[in-house]
Amino acid sequence: MNSGIDLQGSFIQLLVDLGLSAEAARVVWLPLPMLLVLVGATLGVLVTTWLERKISAAAQQRIGPEFAGPLGMLIPIADGLKLLVKEDIIPAKADSLLFTLGPAIVVIPVFLSFLIVPFGQNLLITDLGIGIFLWISLSSIAPIGLLMAGYASNNKYSLLGGLRAAAQSISYEIPLALSVVAIAMMSNSLSTVDIVQQQSGYGILGWNVWRQPIGFLIFWIAALAECERLPFDLPEAEEELVAGYQTEYAGIKFGLFYLGSYVNLVLSSLFVSVLYLGGWNFIIPIEVLADWLGVSESTPWLQVITGSLGIIMTLLKAYLLVFLAILLRWTLPRVRIDQLLDLGWKFLLPVSLVNLLLTAALKLAFPFAFGG
Amino acid sequence: MLKFLKQVTDYTKEAVQAARFIGQGLSVTFDHMQRRPITVQYPYEKLIPSERFRGRIHFEFDKCISCEVCVRVCPINLPVVDWEFNKETKKKKLNHYSIDFGVCIFCGNCVEYCPTNCLSMTEEYDLSTYDRHELNFDNVALGRLPYKVTEDPMVQPLRELAYLPKGVLDPHGLPPGSRRAGKLPEEILEEAEGNGAK
Repeated sequence: MNSGIDLQGSFIQLLVDLGLSAEAARVVWLPLPMLLVLVGATLGVLVTTWLERKISAAAQQRIGPEFAGPLGMLIPIADGLKLLVKEDIIPAKADSLLFTLGPAIVVIPVFLSFLIVPFGQNLLITDLGIGIFLWISLSSIAPIGLLMAGYASNNKYSLLGGLRAAAQSISYEIPLALSVVAIAMMSNSLSTVDIVQQQSGYGILGWNVWRQPIGFLIFWIAALAECERLPFDLPEAEEELVAGYQTEYAGIKFGLFYLGSYVNLVLSSLFVSVLYLGGWNFIIPIEVLADWLGVSESTPWLQVITGSLGIIMTLLKAYLLVFLAILLRWTLPRVRIDQLLDLGWKFLLPVSLVNLLLTAALKLAFPFAFGG
Repeated sequence: MLKFLKQVTDYTKEAVQAARFIGQGLSVTFDHMQRRPITVQYPYEKLIPSERFRGRIHFEFDKCISCEVCVRVCPINLPVVDWEFNKETKKKKLNHYSIDFGVCIFCGNCVEYCPTNCLSMTEEYDLSTYDRHELNFDNVALGRLPYKVTEDPMVQPLRELAYLPKGVLDPHGLPPGSRRAGKLPEEILEEAEGNGAK
């Protein structure tokens, strides 16, 4: 198997050729991916907030942001700047340490999870052995932060919101993890690269959606609940809880929560596209196309095109899912807390267990199609 | 066992039905996305107020006979009529007249009952100020006529829904000579008079 572009390897090689030792070259390389993740995730959020405003406007026959830059594209920057320069208020009776720590604990794991999002064969920060489970374990840190924020605000709405957020995240984590287990079973690996690799080869027909339709739906529903997106935005339910755990927050701390929720949405969409929609794979496998055109797979320009097409495909799939999430927001009414827990425990959990059993059975019966 | 199976099938049916309803809802919102926005971009575009629009009140000082009917019919006795009796001419002489539009509910009773028609409704509705006392209009301010939306070069006038041709819902990009649905009031009047003459 061709490994494609190896940015890290070539960068370190370049520095070593320039006369640096191999260790020093590694140290120089280290901050680059971190910076890339931060910048990339933030850019993704900016685009998502703009999309959210524009798509919401279109769904309601409004125009949406128009005057800040072309098509209002500078609106997210204006939003961010506004939150950045606003006064940072800590309520008098609040627990200031926990109050400050809350947003950080919510945001950091979400950004960390970007470590394992692959945009190509070698276009990811680290190809960890535990791969996708890193994300699942990191995403269970967030509710601690939310609970912390809700508790530290010393406000009944905040506390209720924090409790709801914790209950919701914990109940939807299980179906989420179970549907991921079904995928891992089929791919014989937890590594995100292996999961995508296993889906490649047959183009759109090889994607996991066709083999895991139930898992796909469960994952999407659970991911929406994890992100607190609209049919499941009970922790922030404006009409009941003012703004839930965000009620007492202002300025950049509120901005961090806001950022965290949108990064989480982008991240979940990326993971859906990686786990179920073939990640960086094009609709038709690139190798077949290259064969048709009579181009060797190791041609440099083909590799560059493959790499950029991989990034574009991953982002395209992820943003299609973001679009779906926004459309769902304006379609579905919010569920009640008892309906939410009913759906999580009485519907999604048994169905995801059945899905897991079914996957195991199919893997034994048809090992060629289900990754024996 | 059979009962359990029936339960399972019923549950599945319900789940499928719920999914179908969600799909239906999604198709509705998706369909809305390709419709044209109905936004009227206010400072640049304004709706043309209808003929019977009850906006800021206009007052003609010279016509007023200081009868105070407007004060009596006003739900909150709002107009302030400051007059004195001129003994030589044996007539009331109006000194000042004012209405506070921060308090006025624009019911139009004063306009309706004014015996000399010195009060009338204008089509002005954007009365925002930085200080509420600025909304207390004296007789000079009341005598000013508002800028007509249709004649303001800064404003793109848009017709209201009732003034659009039949079947048209969007006032943007209307062809210039297009008529509203139904007969105009003048035409109805003309017809009625024509019938009367016969």
